[in-house]
Amino acid sequence: MLAYTAKRLLTLIPTLLAASALVFLFVHLIPGDPASILLGDTATAEEVAQLTREMGLDQPLWVQYFVWLGNVLQGDLGTSVFFKTPVLSVIAAGAETSILLACMTMVWIVLIGVPIGVLSATMHGKWVDQVTSGGAMLAASIPTFWLGLYLIFIFSVGLGWFPSSGFPSLSDDGGLANLRYLVLPSLTLAAPNAALIIRLVRASMLDVAREDHVRTARAKGLHPANVAIKHVFRNALIAVAAAFGFTFAALISEAVVTETVFSLPGIGRLVVQSILRRDYPVIQGVILVIVVLYMVINLLVDLAYARLDPRVSLK
Amino acid sequence: MALLEVENLHIAVSVGGVLQPVVRGISFTVDDNETLGIVGESGCGKSMTSLAIMGLLEGTPVRITDGSIRYDGTELLQLSSKQRRAIMGNRMAMIFQEPMTSLNPVYRIGDQIIESLRQHKSISKKAARARAIELLDLVRIPNPSERVDSFPHQMSGGQRQRVMIAMALSCDPKLLIADEPTTALDVTVQKEVLELMSDLQERTGTAIIIISHDLGVIAETCDKVSVMYRGKIVEAGTTENLFERLAHPYTRGLLNSIPVVDHDVEWLEAIPGRVPTLGEELSGCAFHPRCPIATGLCIAKTPGDTYIAGNHAVKCHYADQVAS
Amino acid sequence: MSVLKLMPSALAGRKLATIGFLWLVLVLLAAVFAGVIAPFDPLELDPVNRLAEPGWPHLFGTDHFGRDTFSRALYGARMTVIIGVGSVVVALLSGGLIGMLSAYFTKLGHFLMRGVDVLMAFPALLMALVLITLLERSVANTIIVIGIVYATTTARILYGMTLKLKNEVFVDAAVCSGASHRSILFRHILPNLISPLLVQASFIFAFAQLQAAALDFLGLGLPPEVPSWGNMLSEERIYLTRAPWLLLYPGLLIILSVFSMNLVGDALRDNIDPRFKDDISGV
Repeated sequence: MLAYTAKRLLTLIPTLLAASALVFLFVHLIPGDPASILLGDTATAEEVAQLTREMGLDQPLWVQYFVWLGNVLQGDLGTSVFFKTPVLSVIAAGAETSILLACMTMVWIVLIGVPIGVLSATMHGKWVDQVTSGGAMLAASIPTFWLGLYLIFIFSVGLGWFPSSGFPSLSDDGGLANLRYLVLPSLTLAAPNAALIIRLVRASMLDVAREDHVRTARAKGLHPANVAIKHVFRNALIAVAAAFGFTFAALISEAVVTETVFSLPGIGRLVVQSILRRDYPVIQGVILVIVVLYMVINLLVDLAYARLDPRVSLK
Repeated sequence: MALLEVENLHIAVSVGGVLQPVVRGISFTVDDNETLGIVGESGCGKSMTSLAIMGLLEGTPVRITDGSIRYDGTELLQLSSKQRRAIMGNRMAMIFQEPMTSLNPVYRIGDQIIESLRQHKSISKKAARARAIELLDLVRIPNPSERVDSFPHQMSGGQRQRVMIAMALSCDPKLLIADEPTTALDVTVQKEVLELMSDLQERTGTAIIIISHDLGVIAETCDKVSVMYRGKIVEAGTTENLFERLAHPYTRGLLNSIPVVDHDVEWLEAIPGRVPTLGEELSGCAFHPRCPIATGLCIAKTPGDTYIAGNHAVKCHYADQVAS
Repeated sequence: MSVLKLMPSALAGRKLATIGFLWLVLVLLAAVFAGVIAPFDPLELDPVNRLAEPGWPHLFGTDHFGRDTFSRALYGARMTVIIGVGSVVVALLSGGLIGMLSAYFTKLGHFLMRGVDVLMAFPALLMALVLITLLERSVANTIIVIGIVYATTTARILYGMTLKLKNEVFVDAAVCSGASHRSILFRHILPNLISPLLVQASFIFAFAQLQAAALDFLGLGLPPEVPSWGNMLSEERIYLTRAPWLLLYPGLLIILSVFSMNLVGDALRDNIDPRFKDDISGV
């Protein structure tokens, strides 16, 4: 297991380097002089000249990359043009919202996706299965922002059950009760993903149910529910757990739309606003953070996968 | 009363809502300490028969349309699913053709044996584990106290089949059904597994049904043989009687398709023609299109049982001629 | 099996997928004949009649500029088809070529597929946002961005499928008969991949609609004056409480079209070579 982990970590490094190089190059791909791009339209000629020196823009590109990478590794992601504060602190400010939103969404995905997927698989071919798997495909076809807007229309404006926008920190007045601000956003974000999980749980369970060892389990005289959970679902879980990980990793960036609909102060909305504000240091920083997170979570998924499937760890 | 009595069993598979007969009225019995071999080509209905006895047809498109299966005097076909499950894996156990895929890859083999034990016996986890190790030792897995924690993928095909046997024997079943238990194994391993099953039978007195397409396997291990063709038993008898005077052209065909080096092959080496498809209706004897001695009578009239010696029964109009 | 015969056999006995297919045909007709059918100019402002309820002559009502929603929806169908087909073409051409060449020429493949791996480290929507930052808002750029995003997955899929085919006897036979690399790739391997490609195309088409609508909504997609279903939703969202139907129609149109495409893709997938079935994942 330890060797496997080490091996996977090693393969991650070149990809991480290449991805970070792409993120670094991003600023250089924007037409114009990088220093003035990073400082924004309001910068004076002196400031531009100073940053040009600091960044070593007169140096070859690969030297600049390593200087930049060195800064990044020390936690220096540059300064926001718009906020005039370090990019890292701008991102950190959105972290609470984004992480809580992702976690709450994940809870919905598991709570909705798994039981309905199992139900659909065990009722294979019956009307319950047709309705749930068809419904899941329909749910995956709904644009999230549209769903979010109508949830606001019904549950905030109409019924007044949940707030329609914003999210005060849990450390503000209200404490944990502030989580109600995230109910509609997390449901919105969960819908298409839960739909995918339903389809995946169903398909994986149907695949496993055809395997010989399930017949062996039935021949032991186990209760059908026991066979379905302990043998069929447990084995299907290998594929499903991987999907959970990938979904979670993708949630931070998928939240871009949802956070915009519900005006949540998260990292996703920060990306969009920074793009509209042409705040390139922040864009660059956020992309880097999300990509690294995405890759690290995917690595963790791979490791979890090895734990779930004993056949993997030996290889 | 025999331990297992199958009478006039009819099985059909539903294809697009139409029931196609697969097994067309077979009867046989198995006693304690007895081994019955059921032999035939693939598609003859032998595997369906074993699944029907075991009770594993639920949830498949296969239905038992008529007949009776009595175990220890109890009519199995009238039991509820729950009552069947209490017998399944307990009084009656089964091992399957594919040892490589018949064990769940994500659980340790010990846990899979323990699961079977604890399903039917109120026994502590610790005691169940000790019993699992004992069972692994019984099926001659070396180092059982270590191998009990192995995963299936860490074992060879032959070892996995032994584990399957250990699992099947965990609750001391009175009847063991083995569906092509050695087909997927190497020849040398085949022999070991068959010997193991015979040895275990001597110790425990378990009745065994071996399903196989291989007449050689059957001849070596069984007390009685039933030869199935197209859903019917065309020849049945004790192994001794039957092999002394094979009286059905089909059985002869099966035997002669096994190459024997120092023998003059006097008849066909392979049975000509093909196994008729499921929906195909054949008049008279179903074997007539492939039979080297078929006559107009065989096409016109379905043969009944002809008795050669004692209980050696043959469904062939010309059984006496074939036998002599 | 030819592509034309593929559709009827995939749809046989599948009512929902058949309805989906018919809906897509309807969208295509609307796209082609939008100029003829549309009762109003989709860009014509009519401030007096703003936020009119659905009825006559404005079937779907009017938006906050008084533009006819029905006519805009018809032209939106045109955008749907253009964006969908465009993204599919970009994704299949670039990704497909990279995947096939990588599988066929192993050394080049090692290099190219590592590049694809790096690009796949970027979540789809984030990658679209990064690319869009570098480009102007235009129809062509939206197509390019979405096409590139799905080119990576397409490359992966085609890489796997070509690898499987490469070891087939018929490829060996072609090699032995002295066929050129180009002929082997495009005359022997590619024809076997047509139907899986069609499945992949339908899923990309469906995903592209959702991505394009999301970009429109964020104000980073098509230019605001282009009548697309996504832009209609984006512009009218503040009128949700006053005129809920303004968001209902374009939303339902998107959902129906994406759902239909997914249904058709699903039906097609059940009909392709079972070897490739697990390679393509749709919804």
